[in-house]
Amino acid sequence: MGDAKKREYVLGFVILIAGIVYLVMASQLKVPERPGVHVDASFVPYVLSSIMCILGVLQLRAAKNYVPKPKAGNGDDVDYGTVGKTIGLVFGYVALMSYLGFPLMTVLYLVAQFTVLTPHDKKVNYVLYTVIAVIASAFIYLTFRYAFDMMLPVGPFDF
Amino acid sequence: MLSLFQQGIEAVFTFQIFGLVFFGTVVGIIFGAVPGLTSTMAVALFLPVTYSLGAGAGISLLVALFVGGTSGALISAILLKIPGTPSSVATTFDGGPLMEKGEGAKALGVGIVFSFLGTVVSIIALIFIAPTLAKIALRFGPHEYFAIAIFSLTLIITLASGSMVKGLLSGVIGFAFSTVGIAPVDAITRFTFGQTQLNSGFEILTVLIGLFAISEVIKVAENVKHERAATIGKVSMKSIKGFGFSMQEFVGQLWNGFRSALIGIGIGILPGIGAGTSNIVSYIVAKNRSKYPEKFGTGVIDGVVASETANNACIGGALIPLLTLGIPGDAVTAVMLGGFMIHGIQPGPLLFTTQGVLVYTIFAALILSTIMMLICEFYGLRIFVKLLAVPKHILLPIILVLCVVGAFGLGNRIFDIWTILLFGLIGYGFVKGGIPQPPFIIGFILGPMAETNLRRGLQLSDGDFMGFLIEPISGAFLMLSAASVFWHIFQAQRAKSAKRRAVVELEA
Repeated sequence: MGDAKKREYVLGFVILIAGIVYLVMASQLKVPERPGVHVDASFVPYVLSSIMCILGVLQLRAAKNYVPKPKAGNGDDVDYGTVGKTIGLVFGYVALMSYLGFPLMTVLYLVAQFTVLTPHDKKVNYVLYTVIAVIASAFIYLTFRYAFDMMLPVGPFDF
Repeated sequence: MLSLFQQGIEAVFTFQIFGLVFFGTVVGIIFGAVPGLTSTMAVALFLPVTYSLGAGAGISLLVALFVGGTSGALISAILLKIPGTPSSVATTFDGGPLMEKGEGAKALGVGIVFSFLGTVVSIIALIFIAPTLAKIALRFGPHEYFAIAIFSLTLIITLASGSMVKGLLSGVIGFAFSTVGIAPVDAITRFTFGQTQLNSGFEILTVLIGLFAISEVIKVAENVKHERAATIGKVSMKSIKGFGFSMQEFVGQLWNGFRSALIGIGIGILPGIGAGTSNIVSYIVAKNRSKYPEKFGTGVIDGVVASETANNACIGGALIPLLTLGIPGDAVTAVMLGGFMIHGIQPGPLLFTTQGVLVYTIFAALILSTIMMLICEFYGLRIFVKLLAVPKHILLPIILVLCVVGAFGLGNRIFDIWTILLFGLIGYGFVKGGIPQPPFIIGFILGPMAETNLRRGLQLSDGDFMGFLIEPISGAFLMLSAASVFWHIFQAQRAKSAKRRAVVELEA
């Protein structure tokens, strides 16, 4: 089974499981019964979860009949390593922002992210990256802090 | 009407709004021109900037970003042969070959002028259609709004993508996310898991930034390391007279331009699809109607005219349902809906009676930004070309930081930043699964509208569902919804049978 076909199957299962989970959650909603009222706060979630379950089954059926299109290039050349590192960096950036503050965390994040994304045929230039990161962080922080009165987290430093 | 229009023009020609419109148009062109950045991203990123501005100034800025972003994509489509945004995909078909033939200046000139004309025609349509539609919409009640929401949902599902299952799924997931928080009518708390921050549901802005900006940054990370700098075509503007094409060529393209503008306006009005679809549809129509269809794709200005007129004509078209019914015509207008809400304004028919000056300020800002777009794109081309060379590995992390600031600015909460990351991952999952993103947004926005009006309508008709079918307008829209779904199923089945027949014939 090719990767594309497998992906279609996985999507079908994910939809089906999500539909079932949503259906269970809808059934657990505490909605007071009112005489004569058939459409309450759980109605739409029930309808949506049922549609999701049906779509999951339809997607699985579509996956069974799926014929992958021939690719022009050398197949899947997606760099998941860089994707994983990028997601990790973004999560780290947000998680530590409350403690270290926006200006410092932004400089650290930008330098790290520039480095991770630098193309193979280009040299990593830490000095240039640090200069750009410091200028960008300061410019964004000061603009939003003083021009738009936005209180971005400052961390241990108070500007 | 004329007095309101005059007030709108006066408002736009104040120093603040004039400056914002100029700034927005230039930034929009940059976002449109740089592949990987989109006009949706530009409008979403600048929403926080509008917090401290008045409604007129803030929305004028967003409108200018929209106009600039839609048109700017033609620069990279012609010079790099890479569409800056999906709205200029068809521009590359003939813009690229024209560039190779050494007629890049002509392609750019034609693209810029017909972008301008497409926007102008759509603004005229907007100015004349919107107030009339708003007057009719004033008579709408819950039954009609429910039916329109359902009709819009079915349209995006049937028109947005090739796979009906995936289109429908995207809309359903968006609708499901909109059920988080306090339910309409009876105020029951749903799916908040005890988090008080979720009581008011997910903020539309965080959903949009996550889905359209964060997911895009992650997507670019997939192959940015292997990317080589694109070769930027060089165009000499020194020997160019006027806009680079003759009057005869201009007159020869007028009908093509007018037809493309009508296609753009029509597609723009339909919910869920916009410039990304109109440029391709218009290109196909222009090719089929041409006396020399075989020349399309080899470098004829007709292709550039069709694509650029239609994508810009979507601007006015998409604003018609937004302003009159509160239903966004495409992803950018969905973000703009968020912009209205930030200023406590609910788009809809009442907007024309309660906020008449604001509506006409928006019209005036559209006209001004269209003129600025024409001037800036032509005379500032050299600067925009230089910006195309800014490396993505530097640009995208800075964009991500701006997304974070935008989300934080909503309520000064780190929680909102986590939310954009959540929707960014969902958006990336959509990209990998081949699921279209626009139906999600439409489901997220129209879902609560459908649910609220369903429940209100049932209250009005004592719990009787027939009320939705008996009312003429809602009944008509519900029938149209059913017809659009059946039509799509029929089309899909027909395509499948044709494919099967072709396979059998091949095997024979």
